[in-house]
Amino acid sequence: MSNNNQYDMLIVGSGPAGQKAALHAAQSGSRVALIEKTRELGGSCVHRGTIPSKTLRENALRVKNMRMNAELANFELPEDVELATLINRLNDVLLAHDTYMRRQLERSSVELIHGRARFISSTEIEVITVAGEKFSLTGECIVIACGSHPHHPDNIAIDHEHLFDSDSVLSMMYLPKSLIVLGGGVIASEYASIFQALGVEVTMIDKYPLPLGFLDSDLTETFVNGFKHMGGTWLGETVVTRAYWNGFDAVIAETEDGRQIKGEKLLCAAGRIANVKELGIENANLKLNDRGLISVDENLQTNILGIYAAGDVIGPPSLASASMEQGRRAACNALDMPPGIMHNIIPTGIYSIPELSSVGLSETQAREQYGRVLVGVARFDEIARGQISGIQNGMLKIVCDPAGKKVLGVMIVGEGATELIHIGQMALLSDARVDLFVESIFNFPTLAEAYRAAALDIVHQRKKL
Amino acid sequence: MTAPNRLPDRLLPLQAAILEQINAHHIDVPMLPEVAGKVVRLTQDVDSDASELATLIQSDQTLAAHVMRIANSALYSPNSSLVSLQQASARLGMKLISEIALAASINSSLFNTPGYEEHIQYEIRCSLMTGLWAKEIARVSRRNVEAAFITGLLHAIGRPIAVQTALKVAAESNTTLDTAEVLALEDKFQRQIGVQVVEQWEMPRLVVDVVRFFDCYNDAGAARNQTMIAIAAEAFTHHFMSEQGDNNCISREELVSQVVLAELNLYRDEVLELLEKQDLVKSAMEAMTA
Ligand SMILES: Cc1cc2nc3c(=O)[nH]c(=O)nc-3n(C[C@H](O)[C@H](O)[C@H](O)COP(=O)(O)OP(=O)(O)OC[C@H]3O[C@@H](n4cnc5c(N)ncnc54)[C@H](O)[C@@H]3O)c2cc1C
Repeated sequence: MSNNNQYDMLIVGSGPAGQKAALHAAQSGSRVALIEKTRELGGSCVHRGTIPSKTLRENALRVKNMRMNAELANFELPEDVELATLINRLNDVLLAHDTYMRRQLERSSVELIHGRARFISSTEIEVITVAGEKFSLTGECIVIACGSHPHHPDNIAIDHEHLFDSDSVLSMMYLPKSLIVLGGGVIASEYASIFQALGVEVTMIDKYPLPLGFLDSDLTETFVNGFKHMGGTWLGETVVTRAYWNGFDAVIAETEDGRQIKGEKLLCAAGRIANVKELGIENANLKLNDRGLISVDENLQTNILGIYAAGDVIGPPSLASASMEQGRRAACNALDMPPGIMHNIIPTGIYSIPELSSVGLSETQAREQYGRVLVGVARFDEIARGQISGIQNGMLKIVCDPAGKKVLGVMIVGEGATELIHIGQMALLSDARVDLFVESIFNFPTLAEAYRAAALDIVHQRKKL
Repeated sequence: MTAPNRLPDRLLPLQAAILEQINAHHIDVPMLPEVAGKVVRLTQDVDSDASELATLIQSDQTLAAHVMRIANSALYSPNSSLVSLQQASARLGMKLISEIALAASINSSLFNTPGYEEHIQYEIRCSLMTGLWAKEIARVSRRNVEAAFITGLLHAIGRPIAVQTALKVAAESNTTLDTAEVLALEDKFQRQIGVQVVEQWEMPRLVVDVVRFFDCYNDAGAARNQTMIAIAAEAFTHHFMSEQGDNNCISREELVSQVVLAELNLYRDEVLELLEKQDLVKSAMEAMTA
């Protein structure tokens, strides 16, 4: 680190938001310090979230496919398989990622500081190192990108041994025989279906009737059916009043209606809260909103001039993809550089089994805004590629304006959804008419053909208007 | 007891003899008492149920008595006194019972170390405490809590057997060893011997790796974090226990500045918070060794 402790920009947190902010600011010639409290770079995205869960998912898919092809190979996973073997490539993936990120930041002359940051004032930050040393840094501007951590409800006795959160769930030693998953959000749906695909008996419990409430119910129903088809149990409209280790052989989840649900392990995925406890934000006159998040304006600036925030710490969509863009934009705005147009058309990718993805308006949202809308649906089992690959429970849905012309949103459930969605995203970004999908020739056989089938569905409905 | 840094030349033939035994896998590794092995296996078997465990415990009087004692200790049953073994196992849980069984089986009678029983007893207590601290450290740093106890407990299992081997080899060559020399030989060979013990006891790969890489955790690959937890746990233990009495324990300042804690990314305040678990660890320790 340089002796001079005066920087153009200080960034707290090296997750997707902080990294992109740092790179962008440094590449524009600013003197930038990136403060990260953990030894590793990359935030929860790299170490406790996206990458580990997706590494496990890859193997879960393999296991599921091997089981599905029982005629080809009579496959059964050994009973006492160690979880580490199912995320066997994780260390290599993480190491490669860490090396790449470190090099990229160093090449751009970002100063990396390992320590915990705490505001002293709105321009000064104190860093405390893991060895207990303290020093302070000042910045013309500051970007808070310190992410979030799992919320632990009071009535769920999380001990990281029998009852886990999403940070610790992959530290389990063995694949359990059964797992209770509390929650119906993205993380709960991903882990529930991944573990079910691995042969664990999963019971997913949530207070709402269906998981992933921000998606249309026909998509979530398809997901729930797929989950049940694999052997999973979905308990909607069920409130868990208490969950604990019975001290003997099981975790017990007690429900409001008097049931006791037993599992070997439990994962609590009850939302996330901003990592602000150690940040001393009051010293910078910053305030938290009523959801415990840092509020920002459309430029990602907080209520204090010169202090910006990006990523999970400002709340939804709480995605790595969105966090990166927010980080970049925060840096641009702070340094008075034009950030370019911010498209609020951000796709959501849910890496459950099967995958789900959406972009733009859902059918429900579109109806709220436009009244009557036209909706075209293509089912993957009606598409040649879907039949070949045995993808039965997939569908793609295009939502159009009342005239059946302008694309308002696309939603997909089925393997490949998170990649396929980008075709819809490009259509939305270029304000395309739905006819574009009919006029285009797609490779045959592909799942992307579903766009054409769904678009044709709309064109037919349009004729009847 | 402390060992000198360098072994005297007169011990060179002894060293060579011990090394030869290690290399030829001729170390006398004690049999892990059958019941302990079975309990560990049962608790790791996803298909086993509680009644099997209860039956097994009933078949071993010492273990049964031990389980009852612990279940009735203040830590696990503050208000009631249990008389049924079934109820006691229900209160403690499969995992804890497997930990108790393993800890109970590793007692000084397992080793043939005449004159060094007290020393071995001390080391076994240290290992037990290390296992208990390892669990707490793993919990705080969100690493594998399940494996922490067993890796902590067994990380120094080579020590008593190294003492046993040194005494045996010395007797065979008619050499008289003083305490410092025995301890020096113990220090020198315990790690290599420890690896052979956990391998022979068919402990999980992780446990073997923690023992193997305890002195060089950077080489431990996938077992790196677990090894660091065991090392950190040992430092916590040395803060609370020393064979020479309380004055020789490492100080709080020495403990919090252990490099391994920083490597585990535990900040000072987090270490101090961990230290607040000392009563919990002490009671668990008392319960298990009652
Ligand atoms: C299980 C799981 C699966 C996910 N899957 C996906 C997915 O598939 N796709 C997707 O787009 N998103 C996914 N996400 C969400 C994604 O991980 C987050 O949206 C993203 O990591 C947020 O980035 P961030 O930069 O805001 O914060 P983080 O990634 O949380 O990084 C914040 C960093 O700040 C550091 N920090 C905190 N406080 C301080 C301090 N005081 N001083 C110094 N440093 C500090 C932290 O150590 C951390 O490294 C997933 C999340 C989870 C938990």
